[in-house]
Amino acid sequence: MGTVIFGLRNVLRNKPRLALVAVLIGIPFFLFFAMQAIGNAVSRQTAVLTRDVNTLLQLRARGSMGHVNMVGQDRILPEDVLDKVRGIGNIVDVEPYLLAMAPITPPNFVMHVGLAPTAVKRLESHGEAGNPRIVAGRDFTPEDTGKNVAIIGQGYAQWAGIKPEDMGTATLTVDATRTHPVIFAMDRPKRDLKIIGTYASGYVFGDLQLFLPIDTFRAIYGIDRGISWVFVRVDSVENVAIVAERLRATVGDVADILVPRSAAVFTATTSRTVLQLVGAAGLVAITLMAIVVFFVLVMQVRERTREIGTLKAIGAANGRIVAQFFTEAVSLSLLGGAVGLAIFLIVGDAAVSRLFALGVGPFLPSQYRPLFESLAIDTQLSAHLLALALLVAVVTAVTGGAYGVWQAIRLSPVEAMKHE
Amino acid sequence: MNSATPLIELRNLAKTYRKGAETVEALSGIDLTIEAPAMIAVVGPSGSGKSTLLHMIGAMDRPTRGDVVVAGQDLNRLSQSELTRFRRTTVGFVFQTFNLVPNLTALENVALPMEFNGVTGAVRLQRAHTLLERFGLANRLKHYPQELSGGEMQRVAIARAIANEPPVVLADEPTGNLDSQSGRMVYELLREIARDRTVLVVTHAEELAQVADRTLHIRDGRLLEASPVTTTSR
Ligand SMILES: Nc1ncnc2c1ncn2[C@@H]1O[C@H](COP(=O)(O)OP(=O)(O)OP(=O)(O)O)[C@@H](O)[C@H]1O
Ligand SMILES: [Mg+2]
Repeated sequence: MGTVIFGLRNVLRNKPRLALVAVLIGIPFFLFFAMQAIGNAVSRQTAVLTRDVNTLLQLRARGSMGHVNMVGQDRILPEDVLDKVRGIGNIVDVEPYLLAMAPITPPNFVMHVGLAPTAVKRLESHGEAGNPRIVAGRDFTPEDTGKNVAIIGQGYAQWAGIKPEDMGTATLTVDATRTHPVIFAMDRPKRDLKIIGTYASGYVFGDLQLFLPIDTFRAIYGIDRGISWVFVRVDSVENVAIVAERLRATVGDVADILVPRSAAVFTATTSRTVLQLVGAAGLVAITLMAIVVFFVLVMQVRERTREIGTLKAIGAANGRIVAQFFTEAVSLSLLGGAVGLAIFLIVGDAAVSRLFALGVGPFLPSQYRPLFESLAIDTQLSAHLLALALLVAVVTAVTGGAYGVWQAIRLSPVEAMKHE
Repeated sequence: MNSATPLIELRNLAKTYRKGAETVEALSGIDLTIEAPAMIAVVGPSGSGKSTLLHMIGAMDRPTRGDVVVAGQDLNRLSQSELTRFRRTTVGFVFQTFNLVPNLTALENVALPMEFNGVTGAVRLQRAHTLLERFGLANRLKHYPQELSGGEMQRVAIARAIANEPPVVLADEPTGNLDSQSGRMVYELLREIARDRTVLVVTHAEELAQVADRTLHIRDGRLLEASPVTTTSR
């Protein structure tokens, strides 16, 4: 019988115990995988955030809010700004917005926002962080271009008496002649818009908006040319400053350029903090794994010193004993790894999210908190990570086994057999 | 075996154990020569050094002083690997507690020393089979130690001890954990294998001392000068 088979049979000798050892080794494996998964998720999330938030610049007419009917703030950007902006490099998206105000119960008002149906819907009051999502009805499609349709914020809908089940049938009349202390009348005919969807944003003021196709907006308010705001998305955070510079040079005479205040700081601190935190936790997990594997193997060998003594007494060479115990060490650690991986794959998503919320979340800077509520964990593991974990496990198992075996084989057969 | 060279020769053999400040002289100056195959009983009170003597002869431990020469090999001059080879080819050890490898079958336990000795798979299994058959264990080949009775385990252990045909077998109280009937069976086997080799048996049992070719009396680590030699009808 080969040394390897002998070793494997020894591993399988005591099944409950084998299960215990496998779980013992498996748990740090799982923690390691979990930390990696969190790290990946955070990296992905950071990539999204840095693209959507930190790389977004806003252009408005100089010194104006750019609301087409707001007293003293109605100057808008000339139409040719769009082409000029598009001519600048390192820009991935240029999204023109038109905005008007509409009075509701005094002294309140709402915002009417015209944009391309496919453009990202941003909130006037939370320009950068807004995240409207459709809660009833449907979103725009490219076919909605120029149609008399709109998507309404749930606060606005409530005021207008439009219920979620009315989507597609409810109408809202836009009347540009109505005034308000800061809104002046525009001499335009009324128009009925069909409400196709309701959104929620999580902000009270954010929910007081109406999104409509930009062509429809132009027709309602009679704005043939010009833009209220232009959102410009830069291809990467590093290029934000350069693009801002070029924008100032190109359209700076007519436009205020709003650069995200803390783009660099944001990534430099927060994301890095999280990744460092997760990296440290991963390191702790892999160290823990190494320690567990090492001591499990040392104990495993130590309690079989008597058997080693017997093997020596009947003429086993030290090399033979070492090879046998190495086989056991390697298969135990691989088995532990498999168990850890299995736990990870089976309970992965839920357990890792929980782990993140409990173990990493509390250490996050407060502005990063929303991150873990929306963190999309997946149980994908890269092959090289798996290989790294297994390598560490096997190396420490062999080291632990070697240490234990060395302690045993340097004894004489009698000493080993009398060992407690 | 060349009868001119003694099979076992001990010269001024001593073994001292040190436990903290205390030293125990387990063997103090043993001289012994065993010339030819025989069954030899080793008797003496508890703690007199019987086990230690067997361990020294079987290279299970290093003597503190003196020489052990077995089958022409001076143990003091052997390297680690030569001692390993000595243990698997020159001596076979039988323990009071059987010491079978727990997760090997009876057959595999007997085959194990042959594997260490480089005997190929089929040959060693065949030989192990034959031995166990001879010891009345033909229907226990696939049994694991925990599925065997004490007497059966000890018979497997004796088969294992002679698997590589060593000229010397050392048995330390082989019947110590057995009932008298199983014990008798073990002695019969030892008697049988002693026909063509030297078997040293540590025993408390009077019967064995009587059937042995020779009895060594040990007291306080010394062989008694007036060791009575029992002649047998053999
Ligand atoms: N590892 C050891 N460390 C210290 N003293 C030891 C050790 N092994 C044996 N001794 C001592 O050496 C002496 C001889 O021991 P040994 O085991 O050879 O006796 P024995 O004749 O086999 O006794 P028993 O019949 O009880 O088995 C005893 O006094 C014992 O206490
Ligand atoms: Mg003893």
